[in-house]
Parts: sequence; structure tokens; C-alpha cells
Amino acid sequence: MAEVVLKDVVKTYGNIYAVNNVSLTVADGEFVALVGPSGCGKTTTLNLVAGLIPMSGGDVMIGDRVVTDLDPKDRDIAMVFQNYALYPNKSVYKNLAFPLQMRKLPKEEIDRKVQAAAKVLDITHLLERKPRELSGGQQQRVALGRALVRDPKVFLMDEPLSNLDAKLRVQMRSEIKRFHQDLKATIIYVTHDQLEAVTMADKMAVMNGGFLQQYDTPANVFAHPVNMFVASFVGSPAMSLIPLTAVTRGGETLLTSAEGWELPLSPANARKALSAKSDKVVLGARHSTVRLHHTKVPGSVPGKVYTVEPTGDVTFAQVFVSSAILNISLGPSVQIRPDENIFIEFDQERMHLFDGETEMALKAV
Amino acid sequence: MTSMTNTARHTRPRRKPVDGWRWTGRIFLVLMLIYTVVPMAWMLITSLKGGFAAMMYPPQWIPAEPTLENYIRLLDPKDTIGQDFLRYFWNSLWVSTTTTILAVFVAVPAAYAFSRFRFPGRNFLFFAVLLRNMFPAVIFLVPLFILMRWLGLVNTHGSLILTYLTFGLPLAIWLLKGFYDNIPIQLEQAARIDGATRFQAFLLIVMPLSTPGIIATAIYSFIGAWNEFIYAATFLNKNEQMTLPVGIQRFFSENTTDWPGLMAASFMMSVPVVVLFLILQKYFVRALTEGAVKH
Repeated sequence: MAEVVLKDVVKTYGNIYAVNNVSLTVADGEFVALVGPSGCGKTTTLNLVAGLIPMSGGDVMIGDRVVTDLDPKDRDIAMVFQNYALYPNKSVYKNLAFPLQMRKLPKEEIDRKVQAAAKVLDITHLLERKPRELSGGQQQRVALGRALVRDPKVFLMDEPLSNLDAKLRVQMRSEIKRFHQDLKATIIYVTHDQLEAVTMADKMAVMNGGFLQQYDTPANVFAHPVNMFVASFVGSPAMSLIPLTAVTRGGETLLTSAEGWELPLSPANARKALSAKSDKVVLGARHSTVRLHHTKVPGSVPGKVYTVEPTGDVTFAQVFVSSAILNISLGPSVQIRPDENIFIEFDQERMHLFDGETEMALKAV
Repeated sequence: MTSMTNTARHTRPRRKPVDGWRWTGRIFLVLMLIYTVVPMAWMLITSLKGGFAAMMYPPQWIPAEPTLENYIRLLDPKDTIGQDFLRYFWNSLWVSTTTTILAVFVAVPAAYAFSRFRFPGRNFLFFAVLLRNMFPAVIFLVPLFILMRWLGLVNTHGSLILTYLTFGLPLAIWLLKGFYDNIPIQLEQAARIDGATRFQAFLLIVMPLSTPGIIATAIYSFIGAWNEFIYAATFLNKNEQMTLPVGIQRFFSENTTDWPGLMAASFMMSVPVVVLFLILQKYFVRALTEGAVKH
């Protein structure tokens, strides 16, 4: 296993920057997830690390080698694809053996490695079948086996679970996590599903529009998002973002809404609000940090219920606050109905404030 | 049990209504079959007759004295006609096979390039390739003859091979490109990561998946070249060079026409094509359907 370093990696298609100066380091044995919405450049970045497409700028190091100009076959990597990409005319055995045959290894060694990999992934009984005779989960395991058999420095995975049904996905998620733990493998994993990234990865790299937005542990990304995009991307239901205006009156800083109500701020939050470029401040609140009241409580703001989604375990509600939608989670026994007028109380310690113009998180100076 | 049998006896079995459409279809197919098979059958019958028997009217449907003398004469290297025929057969075989092999060698990489690579002029070039097929072949007769004369290729097989390639390549490239478009690029990417060069990935993984398309290309090129008459008649004027379609024409001499001989020669000319088609038709059908459908 080895560490992977991306330094100022750039990929352009004409005038368009698909990957715009991305730099990050994946430590040896670390599981890093590249997350972001469709088109953010995460798969392109992965393909650049793999060497499948030429880089427009920057460098990639695997271990202590600069691999920027090397062919994929010389980079000592293995890749697992979303559609498995198993060789359709070859048996499972031959699929696993192909990378070793390309390396011109002796037959006995190939057989040994193939059998070992098949055992790890529990596909020994499938070795003589063709890929089209296998289920999705089995095909995915064969794809993992083909990567495993190479004993590479880095595993690259491009949305490997996206083609599986929900239940299988959850099961394979923990299998891949076990795979990572048992092998202490360096893994770079691309996904658009932030839940996958958060549950599996040691570190998350959130990307948008070709730019790396934030690179940190899932816990930190969740608790301290660096801008509004990351804040609303990670976490489900998403963090609610409410655009408001900061006003200072008589030494006190408040957030006011166009609807007319005012929200007082704690001293720490007040300092944050004042550090914004203008008076436009966006309030961010996760669903679990917000409390619902039927009557006005000091410090709460009025809202109107939009929808109620009971899941049996917890009830999610969407509430209109200052013409923005607020997500809130409630216990199963709480009674609310759509169009009801209620009051929302925010947790001053756990709320987030963002600059309304730059969309960056506001920090207390 | 009793009640069931009672019910069965009281129900009159309904006559299945005659399916008009299905019978029309069947009759149509039979007519088409007659339309295509009868000339071949007549050709075979005539070829088995002696000279006089062939000219009899009303025509004999089953030859009174079937003879293989026409076939024997055509295949006899000591007979002048036989020599000619064997030479024509060999020429046709040579031209058609070379055309086919070259067509595959050119069409496969070209289709792959059109499918996988983005290069300036790609769309225009592909359109130009297809454009050729929109015109009847005869239109290019004079320009191509002038070109061949300029290249010094008149009266050589090379001129025909080059010309036939221009006929067959557009469809071949279009067909194979469809195949390659449908093969996910991740397969080559996986192969390249597994240790294959770009070329190895193409040769070992991708190309085998387009085998039906390659076979269809081969069939189409071979048959096109084998049957072609106008260009062969124009570009070749030496007896030794002629291909079968042109050579067979020579059975029409000034005073008489050797009908049975002509029929025998025509029949033998059809044989390779039919055999090829019968063997490979499975792949041909697969190619036309698989290559067209987008996954």
C-alpha cells in the first residue's frame, strides 16, 4: 500500500475546467471518498489518478513515484467500476487471471493468487461461470476480486455500489469497509451519495464545479462545513439554509427576516454575523438541532408547516420560515398538521452562519 | 365430475376464426420464395441439359436426358472454355478475398477511431464516408477510371480492389462504429489498468466483442466484390484479368449462345456466395440487430 498525493491537478476540455487545481494527500492505508453532485469532477479526478486520461496540469504521486506521465498499467493501481466492467466472454476465473496474465506470471502462481482472492471474496463456487450468469452483487465481488488479485498500491473505486438495489448496497457497503480494514488498503472512492462517503471513509473530499470544497474527516465536514454548498450537501435531510439580514441596534446584533420577525444572537454568533462582508447572513440549522413549539417561546420565530413525513420511527417535517424551507425531525408522538402555524427555536450553540454574498462559513474571530 | 362432463357436452367447440393477416403473410412469403427460387431452379435445370434440349419449346421442366457435360467442360483445364472459366473463377476469388481482408483491416480500426476518439474533422469525415453510399456506384465510373489510369492501375486487379473497398467501407465503418459505441469504455479502461496497452486492450477485449460486425463486413464486402460487373468490365480488358461476372458474358458469342454452359457457369458462380451466406447468416443477423440497438 502507498500514499497518494495530488498536487494542483488540472484537467481542461477546451475552456472548461473539469478539475480545477485539486490538491490533497491520501495517507497510506486511508479510505478517502471523493463526493459531490453529478458533473463536479470527481470521476474525472479519479481517471486522472488512474492515468486513463491525460492531465492538463499538476502532478500525481503514488508512493514515492511521480506517476503523472505513466500509463495506467505502470502505475500499480487497481480500479473497480460502477458497471463492474467484467470481461464478458471470459469466465470468472479468467477475469481474475487476466491482470496476472498481462504481467506474464507463471501459471501456478496465477492459480494460487486467483484462488486466494476468490476465497477472500467468497466467490470460489462461481469461478467457472460467465459474468452474465451472475447477480449484481456477485459481479461486484468479482470486480473486487480482479482488483484484489493484483495486490496494487492503491484501489480506485468509481461508484461501485450505484448499480445495486438499496438493500444490497447497504450490505456491500459494510463488506467494502471490511475489505479496507482487513487489507489496510489505500482506497480512493468516488460517490455521489454522501451517506456512503460519511459511513465508509476516513476522510471526505467534497467537490463542486471542478473545485475541491473541503477535505476533512466526515465528522468535521459535518460539524464545521466550510461553505454553504458543503453544509447543504452533507447530512440527510439537508441542513436548512435561511437567508436573513443582520441588524445592529443598541449594541445588540439581531437577524431579521423580510417577514418582520427578529432573532437575537448569542455574543459568539453576533461576532460571526458582524464579520460578514455585507448585512446578508444565511442561517444554517440541521434538523436535529431545531425545536418546534406550538406557542411563542422567547427567542423563537414563527413558521408555517408545509409537509409532514412520518417514517414510523421519527417524523420529518418541512416548515416555511422566512420563505425558506426548514427541515425538522420530531418524535413519533408529536402532533402537527400541514398549514399549521408553529414556532421554531434555534440552538445558538449549534447553528451555523454563512456570509450571504460569499457563501463561506462565518467564523468567530 | 358428472357436472363437468355435462358442461363439456353442452358446449360446442368454437371454430377458430381464420386469421386473414397471417394467411396473407404466408401467401406473400410463398410468392417471394417462388420469385427467388424459380430462376435459380431454372438455371440449374437448364445447365443439366444438352445444347438442343435447352432450346426446345415448350421448355422441359425436367430434363429428359440430364447431363453433367457442361459442368465437366467448364472445370476441364484442357478445354479452352474450361481454362477461361477456371481463370475467371480464380481472379474473382483473388479480388473478392483481398477486398474482404483489406476491408476488415481498414474498417475495424477506422470504426474504433470514430467511436472512441475526438479529433478535428471527425464528424465531417464520418459524414463524408456515409455520403459515398448515397450515390449509385455508376456515377463514379468515369472519375475513378481516370484516377486509375493516372495511377497506372488500369487492367490490374488492384484497380478493382481499391474501387470495391470504397463501396464496402462506408457501410462497414458505420456498422462497426455502432458496435463499438455499444461496448462500454470501462472494459478497455479495466484492461488498461490490468496491464494492457491501449492496443492490447482493443485487440484482446474489444475487438472480439464485435465479431458479428466483422463477419457482416466480410460477407458484405465479399459478395459485393464477387458480383460486381460494371467496374470490372470497364477497368479490365485483357482476358487473363477478367473476373467471373465479366467473363461469363463471353458465353454470348456472335452467332449462338451456349445457354446450358452459361447456366452452368452462372450456377457455379452463385455457389460460393450461397454457401458463405448459409454458414454465416447467423452472425449477419446478429450484427444488424445488435449493432443498431442502443443499450
